[in-house]
Amino acid sequence: MAITPDSGFFQWVMYIAQQYWPLFLRGAEVTLIISLTGTIIGFCIGLIIGVIRTIPIDPNTNPILRFLYKIINIILLAYIEIFRGTPMIVQAMVVFYGVAMVYGIHLSTLFAGFLIVSINTGAYMAEIVRGGILSIDKGQFEAAHSIGMTHSQTMWNIILPQAVRNILPATSNEFVINIKDTSVLNVIGVTELFFMSKSAAGNNFRYFEVFLVTCTIYLIMTFTVTRILRFLEVKLEGPSVYTIHGSQTVPEAEFRITDRGKH
Amino acid sequence: MDKIIEINHLQKNFGRNEVLKDINFSVSKGEVVCIIGASGSGKSTLLRCINLLEYPTAGEILYHGQNILQHKMTTAVYRAKMGMVFQQFNLFNNLNVLQNCMVGQVKVLKRNKTEARKTALEYLELVGMSQYINAKPSQISGGQKQRVAIARALSMEPEALLFDEPTSALDPELVGEVLKVMKALAKSGLTMLVVTHEMAFARDVSHRVVFMDEGVIVEDDTPEVIFNDPRNERTRTFLKRILEN
Ligand SMILES: Nc1ncnc2c1ncn2[C@@H]1O[C@H](COP(=O)(O)OP(=O)(O)OP(=O)(O)O)[C@@H](O)[C@H]1O
Ligand SMILES: [Mg+2]
Repeated sequence: MAITPDSGFFQWVMYIAQQYWPLFLRGAEVTLIISLTGTIIGFCIGLIIGVIRTIPIDPNTNPILRFLYKIINIILLAYIEIFRGTPMIVQAMVVFYGVAMVYGIHLSTLFAGFLIVSINTGAYMAEIVRGGILSIDKGQFEAAHSIGMTHSQTMWNIILPQAVRNILPATSNEFVINIKDTSVLNVIGVTELFFMSKSAAGNNFRYFEVFLVTCTIYLIMTFTVTRILRFLEVKLEGPSVYTIHGSQTVPEAEFRITDRGKH
Repeated sequence: MDKIIEINHLQKNFGRNEVLKDINFSVSKGEVVCIIGASGSGKSTLLRCINLLEYPTAGEILYHGQNILQHKMTTAVYRAKMGMVFQQFNLFNNLNVLQNCMVGQVKVLKRNKTEARKTALEYLELVGMSQYINAKPSQISGGQKQRVAIARALSMEPEALLFDEPTSALDPELVGEVLKVMKALAKSGLTMLVVTHEMAFARDVSHRVVFMDEGVIVEDDTPEVIFNDPRNERTRTFLKRILEN
C-alpha cells in the first residue's frame, strides 16, 4: 500500500496499524504485565498493612508493644498518605532518579515500573483492605473469640475470606485504573503502550491517527479485563445450590435447593 | 456442689456509665440458670464479661476457683471452655454448616479433621441439622441458624454454655424449635446460663432464676419463689409487667 502525506485519514490509520502493530503489541504487553503484577503485589502489600492496622490494642496490652505498634502505625500511615496524596508520575521520577542518586543503582526501567505501580497500588489497597475488614460484622469476631480462636486465627479463617471477597470489585477497579495510569511511566522510559505510541508517532508525525489506535487498544484492554473480572467475581460468589442429605444409605434421597434471587 | 463459675464483686463501667455494680453469683456443674430483667439492666454485659468479650472493670471471675482475670490461664483457652450462643446467631458466613462446627475444633482444640467432622455431625444430629451440612448460613432460616450455632458451641465440648437471648431475633413460629433443643440440653445435664425473655422457659426448665435490674442482682432464687412469691418489690413489678403482655 502506498502512503503519501496526502493520503486520507482512514488510509493513515490502516497504515499505522499495519506498520506498527508489533510495537503496539509489545507496548500493550508491557502495560498489561506491569499493571497486573503491580495490582497483585499492591494487593499483597495492602493485605499486610490492612491486617496490621486493624490489630486491636486494648489497655491490657504490654506498654512496650503498644508503643511499638504506634510507631509502626505512624510509618504506615505516612506511606499511605504520601502515595495517595501525590501523582504517580511524580512518584515515578522521585523513585527512579532518587534510587539512582542515593544508592548509585540504575534500576532497569521495567523493574522501576513494577516497583512504582506496586507501592502506589499498595497505598490504595491498604485503605481498601482496612475498610473491608472494618465492614465485617463485629458478631463474626465475637463468635470466633467465643470458641477460643485468637485474633490471628479469626482474621485468617473467618474475617479475611469475607473481607477479600467484599473488596474484589474495588481490587478489579484498581487493576483497570493501573492499565490506564501506567501510561505515566513513559516519563522514565518504560516501554509501555503510551511510550511505544509516542515513538511510533515520532516517526511520521501522525499524532492523531497513532493515538486513535492507542486509544482503541486501551479501551479493548480495559473492557475485556473488566468483563473477565466481573465473570470471576460472580464465579467466586460460590454455588447458590446446596444438597440436602436425605439419607446416607439411599443417595437418591438427596435433593438440591437453590436460593437464586433470595438475598 | 462443684462451682464452675463464681463471680465476686464484679463491676463493669463503660466510660462513666456503671453498667454492672457489685455482681455476686455462681453457677454449679449441671445447673441451668436463667437471667431475666428489663432491657438495659446489664444482662448481656454480664454474660459477655463471663467469657471475656468485655473486660471487667473490677472484681473477680473464678473458674474452678482460679481467678481468670489474673492471667492464670490464657483467654483463648478459657473461652473455649465457655460456649456462647448469640441473639444474632453469628454463624461464620464464609463457611458452610459443617465447617462452622469444625473450625474451632481444628484450630483451637487441634483435633484432626476426621475427628472434628465426627463430633460436628454428632451435635448437628442432636439439633436436627445434620441434613444441612453443605448449606451456607445465608441459605437457612433463623431457627436453623440458631440450632447450628448451638451445635457449633457444643462441638467445642464446653463446660458451660452461655445463651444471650437466643430466641429474641427469631420469628415467633421459629422460637419453638430452638427452645426444644435447649430443653433437651438442659435435661441432658449441660450447665447453662441463659439470658431470656421466655418466662415459660425460665419457669419450667431452670433450676435458678436471677433477676437483674440497673446493674445489680436483685433476686436469685428458685423459679418457684421468683415466679410465685418474689421477695423483692422490683421483681414483682417487672414480672407483672411482663406477664401482662
Ligand atoms: N459497648 C458498650 N459501650 C457503651 N455502653 C454499652 C456497651 N454495651 C452496653 N452498654 C450499655 O450498658 C447498658 C446495659 O446493656 P446490656 O446490653 O448489658 O443490657 P441488657 O440487659 O442485655 O439489655 P437487652 O435486654 O436490651 O439486651 C446499656 O445502658 C447499654 O447502653
Ligand atoms: Mg442484651
